[in-house]
Amino acid sequence: MLKKLHKSLIWYVFVAPTFILYGLFVAYPTFETFRLSFFHEVATRQEFVGALHYVRLLSNEVFLAALLNTAFLGIIFLLLIIPLSLVMASLLNNLRVWPNLFKAIYFLPQITSTVAVALVFSYVLQPNWGLVNGLLRELGVNPLPLWLAEPRYVLTGSRAAVTILAVWVALGYYMLIFQAGLQAVPAELYDAAVVDGAGPLQTWWLITIPSLRPTFIFLFITGTIDAMSRFSDLWMLGGPAGTPARSLQTIVLYMYQTAFESNDFNLASASAVILFVIVLGLTAFNFRSFLQREFSSQSGA
Amino acid sequence: MATSENISPARPVGSLRGLLSSQRNFKRLQQVIIFIIMAVGAIAMIAPFEWMLATSFSRSANVSMPRIPRFWPADPSFFNYKVAITNLPLVRYYLNSLFVTTTATLGYLFFSSVTGYAFAKGRFVGKSILFIILLTTLMIPFEIRMIPLYLLMRQLHLSDTYAALILPFISGGFGTFLMRQYISAIPDELIDAARVDGASELTIYARVVLPLCGPALAALAVLSALWRWNDVLWPLLVLSNRNLYTITFGLATAGRSQGIFTGVALATSAIAILPLMILYLFLQRYIIKGIMLTGLKG
Repeated sequence: MLKKLHKSLIWYVFVAPTFILYGLFVAYPTFETFRLSFFHEVATRQEFVGALHYVRLLSNEVFLAALLNTAFLGIIFLLLIIPLSLVMASLLNNLRVWPNLFKAIYFLPQITSTVAVALVFSYVLQPNWGLVNGLLRELGVNPLPLWLAEPRYVLTGSRAAVTILAVWVALGYYMLIFQAGLQAVPAELYDAAVVDGAGPLQTWWLITIPSLRPTFIFLFITGTIDAMSRFSDLWMLGGPAGTPARSLQTIVLYMYQTAFESNDFNLASASAVILFVIVLGLTAFNFRSFLQREFSSQSGA
Repeated sequence: MATSENISPARPVGSLRGLLSSQRNFKRLQQVIIFIIMAVGAIAMIAPFEWMLATSFSRSANVSMPRIPRFWPADPSFFNYKVAITNLPLVRYYLNSLFVTTTATLGYLFFSSVTGYAFAKGRFVGKSILFIILLTTLMIPFEIRMIPLYLLMRQLHLSDTYAALILPFISGGFGTFLMRQYISAIPDELIDAARVDGASELTIYARVVLPLCGPALAALAVLSALWRWNDVLWPLLVLSNRNLYTITFGLATAGRSQGIFTGVALATSAIAILPLMILYLFLQRYIIKGIMLTGLKG
């Protein structure tokens, strides 16, 4: 036993640094987020207050609006990016001229930092002389959209503007992941479809899309997590309050504003826990619903 | 049969040729349509960057912008770039970014590969439990622990230091997981042979395992570098000393405070964006391979 332990000592040395850093920078802060959310600071002393902050949050209109906004922006984004990137990736997969050049160009915004892209877009979408409105004016569009200055739920408002930005940034990445999935579809399936006399569209709909299920699962799960923790581009465009009229405020922006502008770390921690629970729930839901279909289709076959 | 072929040989052959060429034409037309769609998308990808460049070289852009967007400046000058460089210590920001990104990435590669090796090939009590602990926290977004992490940095008196930008990111569950998967595929015989020769585990790690991990290490390096270089949330929390700003964070604060001078602001953006894009042109193949291998993005 002792000899065995001695032999494995070197492995513990290999594992230890990662776990020490992990405990200090991941496990401890995560635990602290939960602990802080149940306390209240009274004259530099922490006092236990139970679920008070959660009650405060769930009756707080600003927080609920941020929550709703995060979900709204996330759903619209995913509904747009997944079909669009799937179609574009399928097309690119069939293109024989310069496919790699296009892949590299579409990926360009991913290399650029989110804040730089957001900064450039704040000028691109400027209502009077921005690139987009300048071109729209040439096309005779009148009145011109206000984009980032319009907080209402309209197709040319601030939410639409940041959704265009997000889709523009993410397209290359989603296409890349779909292309990896497309290349993994077994060629025999396509051969069989051709033998059965299926046309290209039919093959795409009946063979390609069902075969991409793992890719869909992956993109839904990571896309949901990214959408729920969206921060940088919106902070750059609308500040911590999500200007105009809080139309761009998300949970993480609310969390940042509460912690670092209102100095209420406890309330901010409670909002972090709520975000955590939502992310966990959505991930579990995505896994379950997709995997359930997987199992039922297997038992059915 | 033979006679009928002799009577009208041209017709069936001709229609076959016609069928073939129409199919070829159809394929060609299909290619042209796909190409046009992809090209329109590519123009939409490049246009904002090109417009940024054109505006950044226009001195008058600070006073008034043309109502019709211009993709070539009417009055080309380096004025905005000179102002941008004198306004902000951009060289300093770049050096900060380079230092933070390189150090954090080297640390990330080292700790991920060492621990990944132990989980892939080591035999020790508690191995699977420790690995599961590492995996369970993989899905937790950084934002959830950022507030206590910030408070911890303050307690450790690390706010406003390079260490605050580097230390929390030199090891990570994802890197360890990826390296463990990759090293698991290395045949045991290679490692056992080195062991028989009397090599220590550290030697095996450095001489046998690491040289075989090139693609995985490259992928992790790309990811870590993109994460660190482009991060803005964490610097926002722990930095107040301007001398420590990274280029991304420096651009963010400048853009948020001095956005009225369009030409200067876009010149600053161009300075922050372009070198990385040029680097991307050269490393594009490796970067895209890395992202495809891991499935994650910057």
